[in-house]
Amino acid sequence: MSEVRERNESAWLMTADGSRMEPGLRDNMRRFDDDDEVDLVIVGCGAGGSTLLQRMARAGARVVALDAGPFWEPETDWVSDEAGSHHLYWTEPRKIGGSDPVPLGSNNSGRGVGGSMVHYAGYAPRFHPSDFRTRTNDGVGADWPIDYGNLKSYYELIEEELPVSGEDWPWGDPHGYPQRPHPVGGNGELFQRGALACGITAKVGPVAISNGRFGNRPHCIYRGFCLQGCKVNAKASPLITHVPDALAHGAEVRPDSMVTRIEIDQRTGRATGVHYARGGVSRFQRASMVAVAGYSIETPRLLLNSTSDRFPNGLCNDFDQVGRYLMVQGAPQTAGRFDDEVRMWKAPPPEVSSEQFYETDPGKPYKRGFSIQTVSPLPITWAEHVSAQGYWGADLRNYMSDYVHWACLGSLCEFLALPDNRVTLADEKDRHGMPIARFDYSQCDNDRALMKAATGVMEDILKGAGADEVITINRYAHLVGGARMAATEQKGVVDADCRSFAVPNLLIVDGSVLPTQGSANPALTIMAVAARAAARLTQQRT
Amino acid sequence: MSTLPLDPRHGGGRFPDFDVTTQARHWDETTRAVVEKRLGMQTPVRFFTESEQAAATALFDQLLYQRSEPRVPVTEMVDARLAENLTDGWHYETMPPDEAAWRASLTNLDDDSREAHGCLFAECDWDDQSAILTAIQNRGSDQWHGMVAAQVWSLWTRYACTAFYSHPQAWNEIGFDGPAYPRGYKNIGVNRLESFEVHDARPGDDPVEGKGQ
Repeated sequence: MSEVRERNESAWLMTADGSRMEPGLRDNMRRFDDDDEVDLVIVGCGAGGSTLLQRMARAGARVVALDAGPFWEPETDWVSDEAGSHHLYWTEPRKIGGSDPVPLGSNNSGRGVGGSMVHYAGYAPRFHPSDFRTRTNDGVGADWPIDYGNLKSYYELIEEELPVSGEDWPWGDPHGYPQRPHPVGGNGELFQRGALACGITAKVGPVAISNGRFGNRPHCIYRGFCLQGCKVNAKASPLITHVPDALAHGAEVRPDSMVTRIEIDQRTGRATGVHYARGGVSRFQRASMVAVAGYSIETPRLLLNSTSDRFPNGLCNDFDQVGRYLMVQGAPQTAGRFDDEVRMWKAPPPEVSSEQFYETDPGKPYKRGFSIQTVSPLPITWAEHVSAQGYWGADLRNYMSDYVHWACLGSLCEFLALPDNRVTLADEKDRHGMPIARFDYSQCDNDRALMKAATGVMEDILKGAGADEVITINRYAHLVGGARMAATEQKGVVDADCRSFAVPNLLIVDGSVLPTQGSANPALTIMAVAARAAARLTQQRT
Repeated sequence: MSTLPLDPRHGGGRFPDFDVTTQARHWDETTRAVVEKRLGMQTPVRFFTESEQAAATALFDQLLYQRSEPRVPVTEMVDARLAENLTDGWHYETMPPDEAAWRASLTNLDDDSREAHGCLFAECDWDDQSAILTAIQNRGSDQWHGMVAAQVWSLWTRYACTAFYSHPQAWNEIGFDGPAYPRGYKNIGVNRLESFEVHDARPGDDPVEGKGQ
């Protein structure tokens, strides 16, 4: 691990007990003036923004990241409680439509430094090589302007920096993980038992939760509240994996700063900085380069709101690409009832997964596939699952009293990129006076077929493990796309290096650049894409 | 700490003497403050009008089968979320933002009740209230007073469940351990319990077999 420390010292910049970042790092953080023309201003300090920040600070750039939310202190700002963690989500007003509207504001949104990785489960799988060529191979989705080989070395770097633990991985490009797999709880045990009975391969991991002490970060204590922010600092989020090293190398993180517009010099066509609101005051940060990393809803919204004579339809939107091809994953969740006590809330929700159904199966009527993972809902989320079956009143209480007996699996289904699944600006405005995002989503037949197939497999696994009843709730997870990378400006917003086609000194470095999503949780890929963009920018690697 | 009243045929009494609050000394300070606030006196209702409060309370009692004291103060907890703008932010294009959707749907509930029984929803007897709600639930994706019935149902149950199942008394009823930091768990796996956990006294009480239906 010494090699990791040489390129990213974050884990060693925590206090000796691992409870927080060295306080001096934040107290003595470099602070730029609005009038300083920084080398790079980054909008959003999540998976993409923080990785870029750390890489650019290491390369000697004068760089500041603005984030709309707080700069968290896990020990005092987060709780080991479900309802009390509402403030981890982006809950600004948004409107949803389409024939299959996607609720926002909880699992698929983030707020504050660390972004949604603060409350993601911790699954950190790679994409498969096929994900980069779905148009060529399957006639669906889109081809990326890069292939798996371009990202592979960045996957390896980020897996070491988080770090990721898991069994040797047989799917996609087979690979190992820097840390050994974690022990599993009741839910993982039943997944393994059921998979074995059905002849399905399941593996422990891959999770970005440290199995053992890592730098000054402590070992996981298996308390099961990964989705409420890891107070232990065992689960990776950029707040502890990239921000500390960035600050140690002279970067600034400016929290509570909502960027509302990117300014463009109408003569040169270059970005000159960003307008932002902080404490109710409108300010402007000058910068010689701007990187947007606000994720799939806020990145398009910011671009669409940044109109000018040169860009009357929104920044980088000459070809009506901004906000389009936004994807969610179908994430049906199937639970099974056992006479044994499972107590699925004990141990991290991310434990065991299978990618056996990830690739297109020529024998099936649909393209692409799905993955299956343990999910272990806490009582409120579990009540949502039960009430989705139509139970209420005495029936709801009765089902809920049976909580200890249930195991729960979740699937991630690869929904396809479609042009009309998009973000536009609504008429309503938020408290900054900025139009709110409207997000429309409609599934295609392939999407629905995948959800059905995935549910069937989860039911088989749970029954194979001995469940006498199974119940399913249809839900969604993750967001990617909305400002995708492409080979040409007619087909996307940024090029393979995350540089926008329309503005030479504007980058987009977050999940919105992904042209497809596979059935993998996107965090690791977002970080790898950001790390590659940074390397291309600083010309260190190819 | 008392448990909530619930007949054994509806799942009551499955975890005898289990009380998560006895573990509060093992919780971190920040979490303890957040959870203990739910046990004390709640801020008086300020978002709901008096008639909305009455309808909401009757609705929550129905959805969560709270028929006698002590109750989880669901109305006050939901009222606080709406008053303090602690909503999820998003709203369906076919529905106003949560605050307005709550006011409208409670008024509509009273309208249905007046039409069917000549009194407010809160004044109806228990079975009539249940019948009104069942009729709304059965509308599914059809319209109900200009909104999609299923979306209204989802709004109601989401807020009701979030409040109820955040309460330690509800955790006692379902055997959930509550906060687990900094202690964590030592015994993970099927049928493995911590020293403070209590086995389900009636593991055969499978709701699948029709208990409480």
